[in-house]
Amino acid sequence: MFGHFFGNYLVKNGVITEEQLDSILKSQKSSRVKMGLIAVSEKMLTARQTYEINMLQVTLDKRFGDIAVEKGYLTPEQVNKIISLQGNPYLLFIQNLTEKNLATMEEIETYIQRFKADNDFTDEDIEAFKSGDIDRLTDLFINIKKPLYKEYVSLAIRNIIRFVDSGVIFNNAELVKTRRFQHLATQCVKGDHDVFIGFEGDDDALLSIAVPYTKEQFDEVDEDVYDAVCEFTNCINGLFASKLSYEGVNIDMLPPLFYTDAELVSEQGFYSIPLIVNSKKVNLLISIDSDIMIK
Amino acid sequence: MANILLVDDSRTSRRMLRNILESAGHTIIDEATDGEQAVEKYIANHPDITTLDITMPVMDGIEALKQIKQVDSEAKVIMVSASSQKDKLIEAVKYGAEDFIAKPFEPSQIISILNKLVS
Repeated sequence: MFGHFFGNYLVKNGVITEEQLDSILKSQKSSRVKMGLIAVSEKMLTARQTYEINMLQVTLDKRFGDIAVEKGYLTPEQVNKIISLQGNPYLLFIQNLTEKNLATMEEIETYIQRFKADNDFTDEDIEAFKSGDIDRLTDLFINIKKPLYKEYVSLAIRNIIRFVDSGVIFNNAELVKTRRFQHLATQCVKGDHDVFIGFEGDDDALLSIAVPYTKEQFDEVDEDVYDAVCEFTNCINGLFASKLSYEGVNIDMLPPLFYTDAELVSEQGFYSIPLIVNSKKVNLLISIDSDIMIK
Repeated sequence: MANILLVDDSRTSRRMLRNILESAGHTIIDEATDGEQAVEKYIANHPDITTLDITMPVMDGIEALKQIKQVDSEAKVIMVSASSQKDKLIEAVKYGAEDFIAKPFEPSQIISILNKLVS
């Protein structure tokens, strides 16, 4: 996470090229080892416990370490040890920058200070980048005050990271009343809360979600691509509905829908969160308990 | 190995589930895209196992489960959903669902559920 945000800052400021950033991020990805694998090889968990945690991850929107601690299989200290063995993404990024002779440690420290100053980040914000704390990063970037929106957006981004692009970049949410779009895959939920959520993009942008999610190859946005993005949206809504149901809040998911070349309109407005997913611009659109219609 | 009827309005889901089940040696005898089709195709094919998505247009999975069970009280039906909402799962169990598969799919979970049911 740190590598993508800070790396893009370095590209924008001409310190490294996009190709160099891609190469660093690829090396970083291949250096990462699954937590379960480390836990078993360190004899902290049995293979059966790891399997059980992986199964729970399918239905619970929680991290491997959090579930392991809740089940009493690992202590927080053991989780921290596994994370350190897994390879700290911040350190891996810095290591790659220096190993490829793109910057010295002193230069990197200077760039981090500039990155912090240019964006008005605090030391705590920089720590959130370094540790990849999604909840804190969405707090930082997604300037929506309403808690339910924040929760929904955090969950959506966590699932993009998990299933689609571990290096997704997101920016400030914008409250809009209309949005013309080329391609939109969406799903509504009804009940104690009425929610509209969708992914919108021009040209072939939605392929950036459909291809990694299905692990299939598509060449253009057709019904299969819409269906794949709708299905991904359905999974995000499903996790949210499950979570709310355990808090006594009931919502029902409606069948997902897709639209081409139309306009979204809302008197109260809806939020658009700009994302860069696998190098393509996609907007996450969300409206909770607000009017929204497609013209 | 079982003859399976796949019911889901999402072709992505049907394709993913088909790949997982066929790679484990099961046979997909037919597919349906909504609850009404599911009941018709159940009557036509009498599959060993039916996987039934909950959220579908025309007729949802819970209603289709009820109607399939009226036709054949021994029908083995596994519900499929992105949501593990308590009330939906309780309703599905009440109407006789055997088990539940969560989306996004985890192949080992699906194969273990199917094997349990087949044996």
